Amino acid sequence: MNLLELNWGLLAPELTIIILAAVITIADLVMSDKGDRKIFGWVSIVGIVIAIYFTLQQLGSPVEYLLENSYRVDSFGSLFKLIFLVGTGIVFIMSINYIDKEEIPHDGEFYYLLLTALVGAMIMASSADIITLYIGLELLSFSSYIMVGIRKKNLKSNEAAFKYIITGLISSTVFLYGVSFIYGLTGSTNLLVISERLPEAFTNGFDFYVYLGFFMILVGLSYKIAAVPSYMWAPDVYEGAPTPVTAFLAVISKAAGFAIIIRILVTIFVPIVTEYNFADPSQTEFFFFEATTYLAIIAALTMIIGNTMAIFQSNAKRLLALSSVAHAGYILIPLASMKSPLTMSIDISNMIFYLVVYLIMNLGVFTVVTIVNRDADTEDITSFRGLYHRNPLLGVAMSFFLISLAGLPVSAGFIAKFNIFVSAITVKSYWLAGIMVVTSVISYFYYFNIIRQMYMRPGRTEAKLRVSNSLQFVILLAFLGVLLLGIFPNTLLDFIYQNFNLADLFTVGFQR
Amino acid sequence: MVPLNAYLAVGAIMFSIGMFGVLNKKSGIIVLLSIELMLNAVNINLIAFSRFGFYGNITGQIFTIFTITVAAAETAVGLAILIAIFRNKGTISITDLNIMKR
Repeated sequence: MNLLELNWGLLAPELTIIILAAVITIADLVMSDKGDRKIFGWVSIVGIVIAIYFTLQQLGSPVEYLLENSYRVDSFGSLFKLIFLVGTGIVFIMSINYIDKEEIPHDGEFYYLLLTALVGAMIMASSADIITLYIGLELLSFSSYIMVGIRKKNLKSNEAAFKYIITGLISSTVFLYGVSFIYGLTGSTNLLVISERLPEAFTNGFDFYVYLGFFMILVGLSYKIAAVPSYMWAPDVYEGAPTPVTAFLAVISKAAGFAIIIRILVTIFVPIVTEYNFADPSQTEFFFFEATTYLAIIAALTMIIGNTMAIFQSNAKRLLALSSVAHAGYILIPLASMKSPLTMSIDISNMIFYLVVYLIMNLGVFTVVTIVNRDADTEDITSFRGLYHRNPLLGVAMSFFLISLAGLPVSAGFIAKFNIFVSAITVKSYWLAGIMVVTSVISYFYYFNIIRQMYMRPGRTEAKLRVSNSLQFVILLAFLGVLLLGIFPNTLLDFIYQNFNLADLFTVGFQR
Repeated sequence: MVPLNAYLAVGAIMFSIGMFGVLNKKSGIIVLLSIELMLNAVNINLIAFSRFGFYGNITGQIFTIFTITVAAAETAVGLAILIAIFRNKGTISITDLNIMKR
């Protein structure tokens, strides 16, 4: 095969970002140490906008692949890539305002590590080969480990990075150990080939190894989304990392985790049939639809632990970390509700919708947290005291983001949660829906605690809080996003329904 | 000929020893080494399956080369972080990494 004959145009979004990262790396070497590197941030944002354009062009095209499906363009991957690109673009705007030469001496590194992390996330979304998926996962993870520990002189940052790398490496090893059994049963790392051969192995008496593989893959990947069993790193790492990196971990890294979980679990395990029913094919029992019980247990535990532990936090970033753990539980509900082939498409669409809404509101919250913490020089919740009186618009925007995170009406968060609630009710998982409602109510307690601090407590000073223009723009964008998606959710839902095609996950596609 | 199960048993034992080391050892470097051991258990599994599996083929060995490369990167990043901790704190004992509230 001649590599030059391949259709490299399919890789356009990734190549844009890779070239950008390479150029910035070289420019960083050439530039003098004292030079202002904010320009890298603006160049990256332009590059990301170009990549978004390429991704939009690919949306709606039939499935195409390169090199035996080690890279593929399908609707699922393209939608997730849009989430990553938009999210990282906003994180760049936050970082340009956040990075301080004093604290991060090598600030050029920060920009290109953010870009390589983005490439890793994009590979995780659009590949159907376990080797490529694993490389994407590690590319994202290693970039994040370094970004978490980039404040070299700060002990908190060091500690967070070490805790993150240990948890991350253990989890990815567990994931690989599970994968090795799946490889042993099928002799391939290609997800589509595995999905053909695994049902045969399952019925030939190797079901134990299929279960082993399923659980180890699930446990290994759960660290990326910070769900039970490996959620413990989240509070420490979110606290120790620089705030823009925390936002990146909470949003893009988590969305990438969901992309790889859906891609692997759905593609490999859905075709396995545990019991054929020849008389009535609609009653045939599938492995995956039984295994959703375990996913439901994980979702329930994640919601309970995340929400109850968040009540006791006094550090704003730890609180948001546990809130993001709780949200991972909510987003797992549609996956746990896939009990029949009919609802799968809608369930995954609901997950994508929730992830988009989660991205908008969380980036809004983290932008406000960046501003407030920088001003007060502490990350304690008390730094929000009197925010409404110091900058009324900022206070109102923050309250609205928190209301959306809590899932109250007239916000996008309510619609997203409602969709998920309906998913669970449709398949009669009343207990799961019940736990979701109860834990949501618990979450009001800590979200409204911040709102109370902003409106009803006197601030440390009465001085007006200044916000730079680019951050004002981000907050305005997030505010409008949460408001408009709360009032007209159908615009985005229709866009996802139109562009997401479940069959894409299982079709081989064609090579031009 | 050594049967497949023997290789898998060695892999499982190595994986367990590695996991034990990660959970019990105090020194940061030993923890990184234990993770290395777990990754090598995966490599043994992959190579055994690539030789004796139902559909034995070369893919497993190629996967192993990728995991070894990633393990090298892991060591580099992990040690760099440990050095940063040592410079700031003067110790790499993981029991001392507790400045953040739980």
